Amino acid sequence: MNTAFLALDQTPPLSVPLRFFLTAPLFGLLACVLLYTEGSYIFMNRWTPNTLALTHLVTLGFITMVMFGALQQLLPILVIAPLPRPMLVSTTIHILLTLGTLSLVGGFLTGSTGMMRTALVLLGGAFLGFISILGYCLIRLKAQNPIITAIRLSVISLFVTAVIGLALGLIFGYHIVLPFPTILTDLHLTWGLIGWIGLLLIGIAYQVVPMFQITPHYPPAVTPWFIPLIFMSLIIWTPLYMLSELHKISVIIPQILLGLIGLGFSVFAIMTLKLQAQRLRSVPDITLNYWRLGMVCLLLSVILWVISLFSPVKIFSPILVVVLFLAGFAFSVIQGMLYKIVPFLIWLHLQNQQLEIINPVKIVKTPNMKQIIPDKLARRQFWVYCSALGLLIGAVQWPFILSQAASIVFFCSFLLLTYNLYQAVWLYQSVTHQMQ
Amino acid sequence: MTTITQTFSRDHARCDQLFAQAEESVAKSQWERATTDVNTFITGMERHFSIEEDILFPAFRKRTGHNGGPTRMMQMEHQQMRQVFAEMQEYLTQQDREQYLGLSETLLMLMRQHNAKEEQMLYPMTDKMLQEDTAPIIEKMAGDQ
Repeated sequence: MNTAFLALDQTPPLSVPLRFFLTAPLFGLLACVLLYTEGSYIFMNRWTPNTLALTHLVTLGFITMVMFGALQQLLPILVIAPLPRPMLVSTTIHILLTLGTLSLVGGFLTGSTGMMRTALVLLGGAFLGFISILGYCLIRLKAQNPIITAIRLSVISLFVTAVIGLALGLIFGYHIVLPFPTILTDLHLTWGLIGWIGLLLIGIAYQVVPMFQITPHYPPAVTPWFIPLIFMSLIIWTPLYMLSELHKISVIIPQILLGLIGLGFSVFAIMTLKLQAQRLRSVPDITLNYWRLGMVCLLLSVILWVISLFSPVKIFSPILVVVLFLAGFAFSVIQGMLYKIVPFLIWLHLQNQQLEIINPVKIVKTPNMKQIIPDKLARRQFWVYCSALGLLIGAVQWPFILSQAASIVFFCSFLLLTYNLYQAVWLYQSVTHQMQ
Repeated sequence: MTTITQTFSRDHARCDQLFAQAEESVAKSQWERATTDVNTFITGMERHFSIEEDILFPAFRKRTGHNGGPTRMMQMEHQQMRQVFAEMQEYLTQQDREQYLGLSETLLMLMRQHNAKEEQMLYPMTDKMLQEDTAPIIEKMAGDQ
């Protein structure tokens, strides 16, 4: 029995998720360059093309990039069934998403309709292609569990986000006049942040929080309905929000629904912090630091969001809520995960290679996870990231004073993340080389 | 009624606890205690593996009628974990804290994703397929945990 073959049969080739994980921090670096050159103006108004360029560098280039890679890795393991043609799918989607994001950002920055049209085609292909393939696998799947439900609902949310986004792109690319562009933009943003990013990260947390730190499971009385409830609230909110914007109903009605969704997210954050406090493992763990920081940022983001919904006076910029959600919550959780998934996958593939070689020239010891990405490197990046996040939060309030400093420190944080991930891959290549 | 899923998942949780205890003793460089804890952990895991490999998996294969499939995959992962156990014991004897902790981090990922697959897919499938025939298997696992 060729045991290695079986293992690899289920786990997609290493390059399938890695190409996404290795591209993502490069987009982070680009985002920092843009923040540095545009500086304080980025935080003045969420509608300027430069702000839109920055937002999409982060949401598509970093967050969606990692999540696409993670889904291609996770799905076959969760459901014990491989995705069809993993190499072809991964290569195509990766190229489309990378070039599409670059064209979109170029289109926003230069106002070029040609770039915007290219972006529409490339991103349209990336999203609709990826969603169709995932949809095909998820429909065939008979098993039912809260994680699979989370993936299903977040992929539907991605579909809604992408369709509205592509429609909005027509305004820039073809100067087509769409009805109510501001309402559509709000729907695009809300479905993207809450549905796609939020629900998927909660679903992944169900799987990885107990897995990484040996905590108890999320309560089984809550998990089956928790994500569907948030998703349903989002569906009901959508027409109510449109009606309220058209002055047909009071604005308070959709706001109450958003408040409830916010409550849901804070319950999730508190639940996670509580489970992590009950962990069995006592050794220090950098992923735990990242996740705790992420949950605190999520809680802060929700609290500020609810205050801004119901408060008559504007005390802080609404951009702060999004910064806390994306750069605080999503970034932390994603980076924490990368520090577990990347070294583990490299170890697993090296181990499998070792078994596959029938007559090895020499037996090479597979480096363990902490040799692949040493704790020291990850910890150093964590502290730089914390400082960068602090400066960025400050920059939202005092853009003229802090935005350049924030962009420089964030650049360093992404540079260290890039180095940590790439040096792991170099180690992989050198060990593979030694085996042959 | 108790199910395979419940009983076997409970044994996973018990082994997780033993894993954490062993890791903590090594982290604190309490080598005498660590030797006992690591051995208790590995014995617990071996007991779990052997009940699966000798009783549960053959019963599953007999009922489904084919030899490959998920049980072979699980058995392969047991083999992979056994290799890590052997290396961990080696570093324990050498009292090499860093190497042990690096390996235990690796083992944790391997073990937890393996357990998740069993708890979410394989055990529920077995419960459904074996139905009333599960009693002796459950008894064996629950026996002297």
